[in-house]
Amino acid sequence: MKWSVGTKMGAGFGAVLLIFVIVGLLSYRSTTQLIGASEWRQHTYKVLGQLDAVLSSLQDVETGQRGYLLTGDEKYLEPYQNGLGKIDASLKEVRRLTVDNPRQQSRLDALEPLVKNRLALAKETIDVRRAGSAEGAVQIIKSGRGKAFMDAVRKVISEMKSEEDELLQTRSAETQTNANRMQWTILVGMLVALMLGALAGFVITRNIARPLQNLTAIAERITVGDLQANISSNGRADEVGVLAKTFDRMTLSLRTMAGAAEEIAAGDLRTSIKPKSANDVLGNAFAKMVQNLREQTLQLIEGASVLSTSASEIVASTTQLASSATESATAVSETTTTVEEVRQTAEVTSQKAKGVSDSAQKAAEISDKGRRSADAATIGMNRIRQQMAAISESMTRLSEQSQTIGQIIATVEDLSAQSNLLAVNAAIEAAKAGEHGKGFGVVAQEVKSLSEQSRQATNQVRTILNDIQKATTAAVLATEQGSKAVEAGEKQTEDAGESIQKLAGSVAEAAQAATQIAASSQQQLVGMEQVAVAMESVKQASTQNVASARQLETAARNLDELGQQLKHMVERYKV
Amino acid sequence: MQNPVEVLEFRLAQEKYAVESQYVREIHPLKELTPLPCTPPFVVGIVNVRGRLVPVLDLKKFLDLPEKGLTDLHFIILVRGEDFEVGVVADVIVGVRSIAVDTLQPTLGALTGARSEFLKGVTAERLVVLDLGRVLSNKRIIVHDEVES
Repeated sequence: MKWSVGTKMGAGFGAVLLIFVIVGLLSYRSTTQLIGASEWRQHTYKVLGQLDAVLSSLQDVETGQRGYLLTGDEKYLEPYQNGLGKIDASLKEVRRLTVDNPRQQSRLDALEPLVKNRLALAKETIDVRRAGSAEGAVQIIKSGRGKAFMDAVRKVISEMKSEEDELLQTRSAETQTNANRMQWTILVGMLVALMLGALAGFVITRNIARPLQNLTAIAERITVGDLQANISSNGRADEVGVLAKTFDRMTLSLRTMAGAAEEIAAGDLRTSIKPKSANDVLGNAFAKMVQNLREQTLQLIEGASVLSTSASEIVASTTQLASSATESATAVSETTTTVEEVRQTAEVTSQKAKGVSDSAQKAAEISDKGRRSADAATIGMNRIRQQMAAISESMTRLSEQSQTIGQIIATVEDLSAQSNLLAVNAAIEAAKAGEHGKGFGVVAQEVKSLSEQSRQATNQVRTILNDIQKATTAAVLATEQGSKAVEAGEKQTEDAGESIQKLAGSVAEAAQAATQIAASSQQQLVGMEQVAVAMESVKQASTQNVASARQLETAARNLDELGQQLKHMVERYKV
Repeated sequence: MQNPVEVLEFRLAQEKYAVESQYVREIHPLKELTPLPCTPPFVVGIVNVRGRLVPVLDLKKFLDLPEKGLTDLHFIILVRGEDFEVGVVADVIVGVRSIAVDTLQPTLGALTGARSEFLKGVTAERLVVLDLGRVLSNKRIIVHDEVES
């Protein structure tokens, strides 16, 4: 078979399709025939219906006629009139429907005159009755002509009906035969198509799917890396054969790559792989990989030697580090002790600062009291100054009044001097009067003595007044000095108040500062405790550090050994 | 007491003097003394006594008595001559008293001299009694100086 896969599949499915088309065409024709037969049956039923209608109309006419004849009432003529209208139309329809059947046409020719006669008879009887002769009408009926006509009509219609029934039976049988034949045709066609389809499927599966399954299995093996499968095309020239050959070439190429990879794995990096095309991703990648590996291995060799050297240096350094860590741990231990001492000192300081703060608070309270006292002293001094001013005023008034008293004394003195003078003059006058003036002389002597007494009293008053004036002057002077002293005192009190005020401010500031110092000292203590805790942690860390340094030393030695091993390993690569 | 005489005792520059009260017209406080130019030193000035102009004399200077201490010169003693009236200055007027002329002692040696003629005598209490009649009749008391202008 030199057919391609597409041709094979086309041929199989084409045969099946052809059979289906034939069966479909046959079915179509048969269905058309069935539709025609059904129409003819319909036609026959219609003819039968019209024949029944003719007979029924005639019966209606007869009924109406009889009713009228019996009653003479025009109302009973209604079925008669209806039947008359319908009979002609029904007869015409029957003639139209049976135009293709000469036998039925000849029977119709016989039927029509019979119907006409019967109708004419009916009309005649009605007319007679209408003329008023009921006896005449009964005579006509009694003649039996009407019945003869009706029997003839019934006979003809019956013949026609039996003719139509025969026709119906013939046509039904024919339709049945057709349908049966069609059923068989469809059944056989279906079976043939099924068998042909199954055959085509089997052949296609046999020819295409099985080789493809084989190839899939091989591809499956290649996927898991098995490249040893042999693929034979069995000499096929179709797509499957081409696919098999291509697969064969692919496995060959892959095998070549695998061989190269094995060489690389063995450490031989001298192989060079040439890509089979510009799009050979694997080949290009391999070539690049080998190139890169070669460069990297060179670098690796260099690196390993550097690493080895460095590892040796690291070993030396870590040894030093370990000893340094030990020294550092010792130092840290000493520092921790010192920090603990400092912390204790800070604690003492904090307590002292707290004491100082409390004292400063008390001092602030006392200075506040002092401030209030100074204010009170200022107010007191002010009151003293006012009183001193009042005293000074009083003293001035006293001085003025003693001055006035002095003036009064002078006046009294003057009066005494004048009365003395008057007494002397009186005495002189008395002396001039001689014996008669003796009594007057005594009076003058008395006046003189009184004036002398008043002079002496005045002198005493003056002396006292002088003393008073002296004392007053001294008092005024003392008051002035007192005023000045009070002013000075007031000023000093003010100064003292200000000083105390400032002092109170300073003390308050000092108290605040002391409080801050106490707080700071407390914070310092807390900080120192934290530092102590931290130093403890540092100490632990330092101890851990020493341990770590020792571990590091061990690790560095391991690293050194590892570097040596790496150097040996890298030296195996041939570049 | 024999031959009693009324005298006016006064003080001048701490000395006690007395004049016979028959010559005394009245005693007056020394006020508004107006110095008078072109007069001897013993004329202190003039005063106005109730509308009369009276010259005022300083007996100490007139009698050339020694100046002893300060003088007060509070009073004038108006004395009457034969046809004129003069004022004599005094510190203090003690008063009128009677003394016996017989008890007067002659003047002490200190007051001897040209001016002793104007003294009547000195009492036991060292009261110098002046002879005012002689003083007033003395020609010196009449001032007649001419000032050449």
